[in-house]
Amino acid sequence: MYQLTKVNKKFPGVHALKNVDFFIGRGEIVGLVGENGAGKSTLMKIIYGAHQPDTGTIEIDGKTIRFQNSRQAMDYGIGMLFQEQSLITNLTVMENIFLGFELQFSNFGVINWKSMAKAAQYQLKKVNLNIDPSTVTSRLSFAQRQLVELAKVLTLEERIDGDLVILLDEPTSVLAQEEVQLLFELVRQLTNRVSFIFVSHRLDEVLELSDRIYVMKDGEVVDTVKGDKADIDDIQRKMVGRDIDKEYYREYRQKSYDQSKKLVSFNAVSVAEQFYDISFDLRAGEVVSFVGTEGSGREAILRTVFGLNNPTGGQFLVKDSPYSTGTVREAVQRGIGYVPRERKVEGIVNGMNVYENMTLSQLSSYSNKGILRVGEEKRLAENWVEKLSIKTPSVEKDCGGLSGGNQQKVVLAKWRSGGSDVILLDHPTRGLDIGAKEDVYEMVRDMCEDGAGIILVADTLEEAIGLSHTIYVLKDGRFQKCFDGSTGDKPSLYDLVHYMI
Amino acid sequence: MATATMTVQSLKPYFPWITLVILVSVVGLLNPAFLKPNSLIVLIADIVPLFIMALGMTFAIYIGGIDLSVQQIANFVTVIATVFLLQFGIFVAVLCIITGFVIGAISGWITTKQYVPSFVATLAMGFIALSLARFLSGERALSMNAEARDATFGWIFERTVGVPNELIIAATLLLLVWFLQNHTTFGRALKAVGAGELAAVASGLNVDRIKILAFALSGTMAAVAGLMFSAKLSGGDANLANGFLILAIVAVLVGGTPLTGGVGGMMNTLAGTLIVVVIRSAMIYLEINAIMQQMVFGVILIVAIALTIDRSKIRIVK
Repeated sequence: MYQLTKVNKKFPGVHALKNVDFFIGRGEIVGLVGENGAGKSTLMKIIYGAHQPDTGTIEIDGKTIRFQNSRQAMDYGIGMLFQEQSLITNLTVMENIFLGFELQFSNFGVINWKSMAKAAQYQLKKVNLNIDPSTVTSRLSFAQRQLVELAKVLTLEERIDGDLVILLDEPTSVLAQEEVQLLFELVRQLTNRVSFIFVSHRLDEVLELSDRIYVMKDGEVVDTVKGDKADIDDIQRKMVGRDIDKEYYREYRQKSYDQSKKLVSFNAVSVAEQFYDISFDLRAGEVVSFVGTEGSGREAILRTVFGLNNPTGGQFLVKDSPYSTGTVREAVQRGIGYVPRERKVEGIVNGMNVYENMTLSQLSSYSNKGILRVGEEKRLAENWVEKLSIKTPSVEKDCGGLSGGNQQKVVLAKWRSGGSDVILLDHPTRGLDIGAKEDVYEMVRDMCEDGAGIILVADTLEEAIGLSHTIYVLKDGRFQKCFDGSTGDKPSLYDLVHYMI
Repeated sequence: MATATMTVQSLKPYFPWITLVILVSVVGLLNPAFLKPNSLIVLIADIVPLFIMALGMTFAIYIGGIDLSVQQIANFVTVIATVFLLQFGIFVAVLCIITGFVIGAISGWITTKQYVPSFVATLAMGFIALSLARFLSGERALSMNAEARDATFGWIFERTVGVPNELIIAATLLLLVWFLQNHTTFGRALKAVGAGELAAVASGLNVDRIKILAFALSGTMAAVAGLMFSAKLSGGDANLANGFLILAIVAVLVGGTPLTGGVGGMMNTLAGTLIVVVIRSAMIYLEINAIMQQMVFGVILIVAIALTIDRSKIRIVK
């Protein structure tokens, strides 16, 4: 009944969806899986009307439709169950359920709370949640909030005639095992009226619940499998796709590292609510990477090394001595450089030019008593522009106007030119095109040759495997398994994924 | 089309100066007497305290904050200068400057360490300064001892080779803050904080200290402005500098330093202050009364904010 045909969507620099065909029948539960960046969220946004496709058609029961916004999609019975953040926590449960649809309870602008409470009670009953609708949402548990979300989406049943499609976006991420089962139970019961699209990183759950599963990769649907015939390993292979190209990650340039020179050591370090009992050493010339799903604690480790988080337990040494203040300033002074995921927010200063950005972390080296030696700054910048072949008309060009790859090079130049020898890379190739990615990989090898150590949170698993000497797998903030990534002896994707989920 | 927008973009930094030239020509056509060099010099010398205050305000706005306490700091300083002139002589100036620096630094501390937005922190500090001014003055308009005033500050209002010393002071201060902005690590850090605070933090800059210093400098300049104003009028009073605040903000914003910070700077504030002067003298010439003038500046302020603000930096406005 709901069908997408040859849908394309492009964003600046990214072809997010390529000729995607998607179909969901009455009462069907369809799973949607893929790695980060495969196009799942773009596809969902198109389905519930938050994005419009560039080309291709949307049909409901054979009629072609175009939504301008998600409100219009709701009018056609398409609802979205957001991860818990869509509830406004200081409103009551009933206010949340009917947010934006209060008019039905109002007389001349005055809301009749009693009738709203009654209607809310009715919705809550659908999800078997026995709470007072006038409870303030912040007092509910996460599982209860998730059910309130579902109740909110189910108000569509009364508002719309005909069939409903409800998207479930990672609905189980905050739920305990038995709560997940309750939710699944509920979803199955509702299929007499509702079709569901279920998106989750937890493949076993997708397999359990779905009738059919769409597997996405690089903006394409690479396969559709029947739920009862699906096999986890097979799906994983399809999500990840192509074989790893050794040339691509410059594996021939991967040299052994200097065992004797420890740059960073963690000894059972914890940061409350982020990660626990993590131990590792980073040595000169080594690339260490942390892999795990979103929220596994990998980014938090980088931020801790950079002084943005303070450990709540364990011992943390940088070049054999502990931090005294645990601030970013100290981290920078001790030779740690951070290449953040949010390149345009934390990486470069948009509005400052190339040389200003490069010297920002090392102003004292380019000044006498606070007065800048701008000539030297420019020479430094010109040097690095040439060294890293940064494409910019001049070093006085605003960094905000450079392409993503060149911005990333400016950030790397900032740290390397200042002599940083511990480089933290957080999704360093995110949003870059292939050529720019390869430049980043070259730079990683260059830095190792210069004796720097790198801690990597890669954009994809292949990248982590291809680049690293050592790979740590994390799950829910805890260490799972350490793999040796020496050339010729690299673990496979499936080895890693197995410990991630 | 593309080239047309390119030229408009590349001209953007000069908009305040272009506006100034156009305004001067228009007012000059209406009233040719306006363009006489001597009357122009007098006109400009007259607004030196406002200009200095606006330069200070530029620090606060350049980092993306605002300082609403400047007018009250200036009020307080007029009282301090008048009350302590006889006792301290020229050193009263040091006392005034320290007062401004400390009040500004406290505002900065409240903003950075207590996470109170600068407009509230400085507003509150302004009220504290006002109240201190009232207390110290006994809620009266005070006059300076005429002899001491002439001996200590009389030189400010004389001329050197035909140029009013007030203008020389203003030019010196402008040069100083311009140098600070463009040639020092502090100035570079200010720009980084204004344009991309998170990246500045992630580069290891001591962002809190930079912000506190920016507010302290704003307070200091407000104190210098108050001191000059007090010497000029030979007295002090808790309401003496009223009316300066809105003009100082208008001068900075019309000059092209947006509330979101990171671009513009001291030379822009020079242009902005001159624009304010020209508009004000035009209104006087057109016999718009003083009460209406405030309204005009209110409207200009709103328009200037709306035109200059960088909306990509703000997600929510409350």
